[in-house]
Amino acid sequence: MIRFEYFEPATLAEAVALLGRCDGNAAVLAGGTDLLVEIREHIRRPAYVVNIKQIPGMEELSYDAARGLRFGALVTSRAIELSPVVQEKYPGLAQAVRELGSIQVRHRATVVGNICRASPSADTLPPLIADGAAARIYGPAGERVVALEEFFTGPGRTVLKTDELVTEITVPPPPPRTGKIYIKHGRRKAMELATVGVAVSLTLAGDSCGEVRIVLGAVAPTPIRARQAEALLRGQVVAADRIASAAQAAMAEARPIGNVRASAEYRREMAEVLTRRALEQALEAAR
Amino acid sequence: MSDLDVIGTSVRRPDMPGKVTGHALYAGDLALPGMLHGKLKRSTIAHAEIKRIDTAKALAFPGVRAVLTHANVPRVLHYGSPHPRSVSVTKDQYILDTKVRYWGEAVAAVAAESEEIAEEALDLIEVEYAALPAVFAVEQALAPDAPLIHDGHPGNLVADPVVVKRGDVDRGFADADLVIEGTYEMGRPTPAYMEPNVCVCQWDADGKLTAWISTQTPFMVRGILAEVLGLPYHKVRVLVDHMGGGFGAKQDLFQTEFLCALLARETRRPVRMEFTRKETFLGGRSRHPGTVWLKQGFRKDGSISARQARVTFNSGAYGSHGPGVTAVGTAALTSLFRCDNVHLEGRCVYTNAPIAGAYRGYGVVQTYYALDIQLDEAAERLGLDPAELKLRNAVREGDLAPSGHPIVGHGLEDCIRRGIEEVGWPTLRHRARAARGPVRRGWGMGCEMHGSSAYPGIKEQGNATVRMNEDGTVQLFTGTTGLGTGAHTALAQVVAEELGVRFEDVSVVHGDTDVAPWDIGAFASHTTYMGGRAAQMAAAQVKRELLERAADELEAAAADLEVRQGVITVRGSDRRLSVREAIGPKKGIPSAHIVASATYRPTKSYSFAAHFVEVQVDTETGQIDVLQVVPVHEIGRVIHPVAAAGQIEGGIQQGIGHTLTEDYVIDPADGRSLNAGFVDYKMPLSMDMPPIRTIMLETAPDPGGPYGAKGVGEDPIIAIGPAIANAVYDAIGVRFRHYPITPEQVLQGLREKHE
Amino acid sequence: MKELVRVTINGEARELAVAPYRSLLDVLRNEAGLTGTKKGCDVGDCGACTVLLDGDPVNACLVLGVEVKGRRITTIEGLQPAPDRLHPLQENFIKYGGAQCGFCTPGVIMMAKALLDENPDPTEAEIRFGLAGNICRCTGYTKIVEAIQATARQLGGGKRGA
Repeated sequence: MIRFEYFEPATLAEAVALLGRCDGNAAVLAGGTDLLVEIREHIRRPAYVVNIKQIPGMEELSYDAARGLRFGALVTSRAIELSPVVQEKYPGLAQAVRELGSIQVRHRATVVGNICRASPSADTLPPLIADGAAARIYGPAGERVVALEEFFTGPGRTVLKTDELVTEITVPPPPPRTGKIYIKHGRRKAMELATVGVAVSLTLAGDSCGEVRIVLGAVAPTPIRARQAEALLRGQVVAADRIASAAQAAMAEARPIGNVRASAEYRREMAEVLTRRALEQALEAAR
Repeated sequence: MSDLDVIGTSVRRPDMPGKVTGHALYAGDLALPGMLHGKLKRSTIAHAEIKRIDTAKALAFPGVRAVLTHANVPRVLHYGSPHPRSVSVTKDQYILDTKVRYWGEAVAAVAAESEEIAEEALDLIEVEYAALPAVFAVEQALAPDAPLIHDGHPGNLVADPVVVKRGDVDRGFADADLVIEGTYEMGRPTPAYMEPNVCVCQWDADGKLTAWISTQTPFMVRGILAEVLGLPYHKVRVLVDHMGGGFGAKQDLFQTEFLCALLARETRRPVRMEFTRKETFLGGRSRHPGTVWLKQGFRKDGSISARQARVTFNSGAYGSHGPGVTAVGTAALTSLFRCDNVHLEGRCVYTNAPIAGAYRGYGVVQTYYALDIQLDEAAERLGLDPAELKLRNAVREGDLAPSGHPIVGHGLEDCIRRGIEEVGWPTLRHRARAARGPVRRGWGMGCEMHGSSAYPGIKEQGNATVRMNEDGTVQLFTGTTGLGTGAHTALAQVVAEELGVRFEDVSVVHGDTDVAPWDIGAFASHTTYMGGRAAQMAAAQVKRELLERAADELEAAAADLEVRQGVITVRGSDRRLSVREAIGPKKGIPSAHIVASATYRPTKSYSFAAHFVEVQVDTETGQIDVLQVVPVHEIGRVIHPVAAAGQIEGGIQQGIGHTLTEDYVIDPADGRSLNAGFVDYKMPLSMDMPPIRTIMLETAPDPGGPYGAKGVGEDPIIAIGPAIANAVYDAIGVRFRHYPITPEQVLQGLREKHE
Repeated sequence: MKELVRVTINGEARELAVAPYRSLLDVLRNEAGLTGTKKGCDVGDCGACTVLLDGDPVNACLVLGVEVKGRRITTIEGLQPAPDRLHPLQENFIKYGGAQCGFCTPGVIMMAKALLDENPDPTEAEIRFGLAGNICRCTGYTKIVEAIQATARQLGGGKRGA
């Protein structure tokens, strides 16, 4: 079906009740930049479309030093791209949204939408996971909070039930001397779906790595933490040979598939190259 | 230094205000009362008989007004690409056949009250296929046990192979001090014009069909629609106002146009059919993929003693322009770099892959990619600079062109020399190669030549009618189509210059087969050359009659009169008369009505180019970036500098695309399209395109063109590819003999080099 | 069920009967009779359908017609300040050859307008970044960039980009 029925619930409660009644035949419309494409390409055929943009309380983006960053489900990626506080405190996320689609897409696409669509190559996922983000979820039974690292269960699949909505993302404040980097690999400079995406958050303690989180996108069914790579760095002096080993470890942890965009072998190789470069840049930024 | 008033000036193009305000009408902008929307159902199998096709449910769907299948459309074998009685094209298509030969071939058409309903109705059409074995690669199609794709084409050959011989290759190779041989492989780029194919059809009560179509060849389309639908030509009218790009591929008919007309006839309502972007891939035309095996003999001094080549193109499921592309691409190898002894063979082979057709460069993109790269290889082996080697061998005045005509001037040499100077080529070649980090830079150059006109494959003609109105303004009637290149503006400039009136006083009437003089269409880079010359000839005739009329009034001999900028003067006197006064009514005498028509049958002229390119290669990711392009083009006479440069820069975008990132790919197992969309069919975008410093020369004007002008549309896309490949070699020492050159292949090449 | 949508298009209050599944692009081209905005891909990849929604550039194909009630939309038809005067962007696209076939042009010009509204003095890199979502297959982008730079200069910026 190209044609569908359309609803604009006024409250969260109304929205989730509606989704419950539609019993899996409804699609949530926020930015629409994925959903409408999928409908037109016959990938999804929802009988009902539920536009959540009339629901109040999900349009805010705020930051404070204690609680960190919070942004609602309806905050566009363009707003996050242009936010001075995101550019300053969460440059990996800023870089990721900057490369999401085009400016035209970013004026509509929401980061929460990018998260819920859960494409393995989604750009915002690796930096948010590297930054320790969490999702606040609203459902008929109430609210719950899920760390983004635990949110994804497979390509296009999350822990969300069909009658739940993510209302907000929270990201802890960055410790001092932290470098946050996101590098996206693609065949051209814009309008790309990442063949590999690497996010690094590196906090220095003295000359050593106090904490590091390395997240790889597009090389597994979900974004993955390169934990073995991280283990090689944690507590160690961050020197070139350490970085090289960590990058090699990250490559070994990647389990990419091959498709028309790139072969599995190439993605694996790029995981190493990009992890190395991201670590180098994060180190620079942390100093 | 020019004494021309209009030629050589970038006048304000009359089509532009409409385009920048959104008021220019393209075929898809047309909304006619009662209009229905048509959609095509496309096969999901590459090679099969249609055992059963049931449209009952679709017909019963609310809002559906008609459904067509092979059972209820005329069964007439046609050319698809309708150049009349020429050897360029193949007669192998039905509107809808009982068989499908490629994934996505249309099997049915629906007309409904809305696009959404039409699309939903497609799902209700039931098709049962009996699969046939399918082949997608040329080797598979040529195998002795390969399935026959078209009756009457044994061995899956689209046409008889092309053979071109000059001199004695065996003696030539015997004379050689160095023999180089290589196989070059070309992928499948598509034109990817921004306006998807579209047509609107309407019948009047007298049985006349009017079709608004985004097409480059309205008269050809008129002819084929008439023949296939069984109509006399005067009952078919084709209209083209603005078109959103074609690049050669919109010369064909795409099943849509016939079906749109038939749906309109059946429903007695206008019908619009528009391709989705995906359909422009599935049902459109790509460039011919293929291989070129090339072997050349070189003497120590760098001259070429022999050239042998076998060109094999993958036509896809239908022939379209296969014969023409194969003939032109193969014959091109007789030239560009001089060689007296050549033996060339070209074949075009059916497979169940997407249809290849006409696309800017027409076979020469492929063959010159091989030829120019091999010259670069030879240069290295001979210890010569590649630009120097190409300069020594560049075709020149008097040499035989691929068409058999003598080359005029030294255009190619001029381009190479100018480019060498412009970029400081010797310094670049001898620079220190500091290797800092993983990035390497390199410079390369590539050459090409291309003919303006489709001669001799098609003995074309350009027709023009020029009419002067009672107030001295002028209208040019031309059948050439406006692709958006600015060709109509150029024709108007030619008329204005020839007639001696201001550019603002000339307008162009085009795009209506009921009104415009017959024209073969806009392709083969011939509009300025052929259409322009015809326009010039017609304008000259109008001028003669105008001056005869003025002569009386000015009491002078017509031979002593001059006209410029709308004013007629008598040489050596201050007597003058405006054109408007000369033509206007006098007491008791009506104003003159001066009309002249001219037909020009061109032979051939060749334009030349040498592109100089700097690239950057990231040796860790394999990524290639083009940093700058200095294209040097020789085109005889630049009529509209901005429009001509625009053609060059646009052709470079497409060429960078096919060399590095564009490839329309199918699954080798079942022929299914894998990247029929802009996400995964990757064209260079604003951030990928380098700065381009365009240089245009006028050193070899062709007397056959208006004011010496030659074409320019196809040259840029031919020269840029080898220039990039050669620059990559300069950067990393890895020789690529194919396109597109992917990052994976760059890394593989680097690995092999270091083993 | 069609919905009655009240929306301001090019400064004019319009009332359109819109089916919920129809894109803003289709609504502009059909129900609103404004065919200047083009459909190049219908899935947000090409930017040919760029319009301004409350001043922000968006792909009209990825907005539903029913979503724009009460909003202000500017299309290419609404750019020129008067019937006999073009916007400097339009003049410069003509002068510098920023358009050839013209199909991408409305989308490119609207995106350029949004770009210059936000950043009146863009560098070349910023212009190219701004246009990343607009595909042009005819010009190679060189003259599009020139036309936008010329406009920036004319409108008082153009120091960093010139």
